[in-house]
Amino acid sequence: MTLLDPRVLGEWWNTFLRSGGLSEGWVIFINAVVVTLILMGFGLTSVLIIIWAERKIAGRVQDRLGPNRVGPYGLLQSVADALKLMTKEDITPERAERITYNLAPGLAVFAVLMLLVVIPFGPGLIAADLNIGVLYVVAMGSFGIMAALMAGWASNNKYALLGGFRTVAQLLSYEIPMVLSMSVPVLFAGTMSLHKLVEMQANFRWFGLIMPTAFLIYLISALAENERTPFDLLEAESEIVAGYHIEYSGLKFAWFFLAFFLNTLLLSAIAVTLFLGGWQGPFVDKVPLLGVLYFFLKTVLIVFVFMWVRATFPRLRIDQMMALAWKVLVPMALALVLLAATAVKLPWPPLARDVFLFFSNIVMLFVALGAIGRHLRQEAERFSGRQKWATSSSTTS
Amino acid sequence: MSETMPAVDSTLPYNDVVPGAVIGQDGETLIVAREKWPELARYLRDKEGYDYLSSVTGVDNLTHPKRKDVERFEVVYHLYSIQRGGGPLVIKVRAPEEDPEVPSVVSIWPGADFQEREIWDLFGIRFPGHPNLRRILLWEGFHGHPLRKDWKEAYYEEEKKPFGSRWPKGDYPREKMRLPWQEERAIWQDNVVYPTDFAPDTWQPPEITYHFGLDLYRELEGLKTDRIIVNMGPQHPSTHGVFRMVIALEGETIVGLEPEMGYLHRNHEKIGERNTYLMNIPYTDRLDYICSMSNNLGYVLAVEKLLGDVEVPERAHYLRVIMAEFTRIVNHMWAIGFLLNDLGAFFTPALYAIEERELILDLFEAASGARMMCNYMRPGGVARDVPEGWLDQARKLVNERLPRAIDELDRYLSENEILLARTKGVGYLSPEDAIAYSTSGPVLRGSGVPYDVRKAEPYSIYDRFDFDVVTEEGGDVYARYMVRIREMRESVRILKQALRDIPEGPVMPPGKQKYSFRVPPGEVYQRIEAPKGELGFYLVSDGSPNPYRYHVRAPSFINLTALGPMCVGYKVADAVAVLGSIDIVLGETDR
Repeated sequence: MTLLDPRVLGEWWNTFLRSGGLSEGWVIFINAVVVTLILMGFGLTSVLIIIWAERKIAGRVQDRLGPNRVGPYGLLQSVADALKLMTKEDITPERAERITYNLAPGLAVFAVLMLLVVIPFGPGLIAADLNIGVLYVVAMGSFGIMAALMAGWASNNKYALLGGFRTVAQLLSYEIPMVLSMSVPVLFAGTMSLHKLVEMQANFRWFGLIMPTAFLIYLISALAENERTPFDLLEAESEIVAGYHIEYSGLKFAWFFLAFFLNTLLLSAIAVTLFLGGWQGPFVDKVPLLGVLYFFLKTVLIVFVFMWVRATFPRLRIDQMMALAWKVLVPMALALVLLAATAVKLPWPPLARDVFLFFSNIVMLFVALGAIGRHLRQEAERFSGRQKWATSSSTTS
Repeated sequence: MSETMPAVDSTLPYNDVVPGAVIGQDGETLIVAREKWPELARYLRDKEGYDYLSSVTGVDNLTHPKRKDVERFEVVYHLYSIQRGGGPLVIKVRAPEEDPEVPSVVSIWPGADFQEREIWDLFGIRFPGHPNLRRILLWEGFHGHPLRKDWKEAYYEEEKKPFGSRWPKGDYPREKMRLPWQEERAIWQDNVVYPTDFAPDTWQPPEITYHFGLDLYRELEGLKTDRIIVNMGPQHPSTHGVFRMVIALEGETIVGLEPEMGYLHRNHEKIGERNTYLMNIPYTDRLDYICSMSNNLGYVLAVEKLLGDVEVPERAHYLRVIMAEFTRIVNHMWAIGFLLNDLGAFFTPALYAIEERELILDLFEAASGARMMCNYMRPGGVARDVPEGWLDQARKLVNERLPRAIDELDRYLSENEILLARTKGVGYLSPEDAIAYSTSGPVLRGSGVPYDVRKAEPYSIYDRFDFDVVTEEGGDVYARYMVRIREMRESVRILKQALRDIPEGPVMPPGKQKYSFRVPPGEVYQRIEAPKGELGFYLVSDGSPNPYRYHVRAPSFINLTALGPMCVGYKVADAVAVLGSIDIVLGETDR
């Protein structure tokens, strides 16, 4: 049984390396290389599966079969698509800003791949247990915004430029409720280390259950950060065709594609880590490898929700989306931070604090839903009955 | 322009109010002096209530055997009154060959905008006073005006179809196979002529000054930003075909929008004038290829009206109505599904909506042999009776599946918060503007104008059925969406009645059907309520087996006149939604 514990496995590996007479520096170096390769391999292969799942789920939602030609259940469809993308011509627009243009796809993938470092996949299975893990996640996530902006600006294309505008507006706006909602469990737990955060959620004391509203805000912001419907304005196909990556083709486009789906996975993984107890679950203390299974099951669940939403909803308009962030989500998240801060300082037993936080969250949730509904209706009212600007001149001349 | 004013004939109508305006009368048609026409037009709109300009088109009288002595060009206006309903007031304004000019009425009926541009494009008749008179369907390097009777197309063979045999002596011997292709033997060859001073190799598209509909740029209060012009289309996922919107943007806000079309132009009307009357029916399928049955219906009704004494069997009447109403459901399902797509839904509503469409297309296939290009109706009836069991199948569909499918769409979509937020108040068109811009169909009724040709000027047997004209007050994208949902319910109502009452019997009049028939001279304008709006066919016959003039008043084309005004002031994303709510098909827009 102990062999199934990654911590024991790691100790054994380190002892093995040291027994070969390697110095401590070499051991760290070899470990870093091995872990990097494993993480990248994991990241890139999981994207292939996520793309397949997305298409399959969208297919079933839409009353059709989805990919089913390549391989069993169409499983190799993504591989075929990736191969196809590799054979495509690599086009650079004539007057594109070359350096920025070529850097952007790499940066996009880099930003998400770096996030893999701090994800605790199981007990002890974390590449780098940073004590500022949450901050690191937020900081690295912002690189993705840079990438989209660079791509949009450098392409010398109006759609791309519009996509770039929207990138700045949307991603920066939604960064704020996202960070605030992430700070709620951080504040409550008193640590930024993702590993410690998971460990604190033992015995179903999941932060997502204690503070459902913060979880919801995180999910909504994650949808926006991931450029998914109803917030997929950056690449809104029916409006600005493909947004910031309209000019990219072949492998460079594939990199954006990769970043997009990897981001889906990672945002879900962070949601699970922060709110759904990460690898926590029954019998994890006995069989630590079960934690990895729990972690992936939960992550897949969140990914499924993302895909479900994408296959269902139309998208919001840019002003509505901004209004939702600034008028609803940010105040809500701020209030939740306040609540969490209060709860931490309450001289009550932990269970009472949890219950307090849970009920105040529920109240907040209903306030929020009411606010969103009223807000949307107000927006509609604001427009309806509005007189046209100039048509009267043409009809009465 | 003219040297001597003719004496005022006081027996003619309207000469008491605008003296000298009406210079002749031809049946119901008034012939108006072109200098007086804007004055009379203003009077007709303001005092006589002719507020709806249905169709403007041109006729070239060059080869018409009975019009040797009149001026070469005439512009024909069909005016209706929204309040009164009923038939048209037909106005003709004539212009001589050397001076083809007719005053523009865009300032009186803004709906004339695109139609006058089309006449300039295809006939070369100029409209002084038009704010933006440039080619609309053809490109700037095009030589001549193709609907003129002396214009010959590439590889012109003969004036009229059916063309004579290419090998009149029968099957040609093998050695003659080496002869040049028939195209190379055509008298005008490829007939490529460029305008003078036009070098095709070095040609650059001219700088076009966009007027952005009838509105000029508007300054936004406060923020001053750089204005960019974005060409949405012709290759764009949500322009529903090869259609281009030139959009001027301040940030994300639209300050001007002008549609550019013609990418799918094939000069349907010139083709129609070469064809015989019967040959045209499959061509009408290709106009609005989503609703070929409605196009068939409009065309055969026009031909029947021109023929005069056609006795259409009862069963054929009912079959026509059934097909037309099924088509309406098909079209509205499609329109709603793809409106949602334009709003950013990931194909799910579209695929749900076209599920029932497939079943209806199966019925079409069983009846006509084709799912979309049905070519089902004929002057005098329909091509063939429906097969056995078809009516039961249709009844089952109408009674069981369709109401449920419509309710399902309604339940899923109508209350969706995002849909409400995206469509309510967006693309507002006031009732006055909707009439002024000659919009029709769901666009007009979505602005709260209860006008439906099926009620206003009943055709076929629509006066026998009990149904309501659907209107919504909003004038926005949501209202147009709701009109479509509710109209489908009305269509189901009509279908239920028609499928209940349909009699047995023949579907064509007795006697041998002729491939080519002569049509008495005359002219006719027949409009029907096609799913997208008012579809009109204007036919002029000179007594030969081919129409002398064949014009289609395409609802998509004319509804687009209102696109620019509807979009200004909203966001880019709304332009797509507004375009989706107009529901255009490029086959019909570009003709």
